[in-house]
Amino acid sequence: MSEEAKKNFVGALTARPTSDDQKQAPALNVPPKKVIIKSADMIPDMQKEAVDIAVAAFERYNVEKDVAEQIKKEFDKRHGPTWHCIVGRNFAQYSQLAPAQYYKVGCDVDIQGSYVTHETNHFVYFYLDQKAVLLFKSG
Amino acid sequence: MSEDAKKNIAGALTARPNSDDQKLSPLPSPAPAVPPKKVIIKSADMIPDMQKEAVDIAVAAFEKYNVEKDVAEQIKKEFDKRHGPTWHCIVGRNFGSYVTHETNHFVYFYLDQKAVLLFKSG
Repeated sequence: MSEEAKKNFVGALTARPTSDDQKQAPALNVPPKKVIIKSADMIPDMQKEAVDIAVAAFERYNVEKDVAEQIKKEFDKRHGPTWHCIVGRNFAQYSQLAPAQYYKVGCDVDIQGSYVTHETNHFVYFYLDQKAVLLFKSG
Repeated sequence: MSEDAKKNIAGALTARPNSDDQKLSPLPSPAPAVPPKKVIIKSADMIPDMQKEAVDIAVAAFEKYNVEKDVAEQIKKEFDKRHGPTWHCIVGRNFGSYVTHETNHFVYFYLDQKAVLLFKSG
């Protein structure tokens, strides 16, 4: 309920570049975006948080860079630095994100085991409608 | 000269998906010339030598691979090897990003229509 109210509020304030075909309703209803988690090494609660923040950011901003900025900064604030966020329709990224590989890198640079363990479980890659969002922690 | 020769060799080995509209040289060249890719450095916090290195590695990777993920992998691994971990590389035609990077270890450039983001963090 609280979240729904929040969404409506945000929706009401957003200038939409293209008009959507929306049902008439007493309150402005934002149609739910289709969410597909493509790959994740992250606890479910944090995944949901990432999706929620992304949904809010897409409602607020039109430029992908601004969306990415919003998500990254929010996660730096909530879960500590350093997060990286890439948003777009067409990109490929290579980073040692798989836990095993990441751990190996951790060993190579002599990072404390607990720190490396902390770094794993901090990766999510999902689609919001046609936009891909990659969010991970490193550094 | 050395680099020029290198490019020619690389070019000779590459199967080009599309034929380019190239000028016919009055003098036949001993090796096929690869037209230079247009490079635009959009943003950089990186010493010039390293920037050039990034571009050169990217050019070679694009000649070798067709899949963007493979190009990104090649660039990232090469930089991890030469300049120490941990680098991240994003390659694509359409994306926005927001990242935190180590000082003097960030470059964002275009090779023709492809954008390449390379930075160090972690």
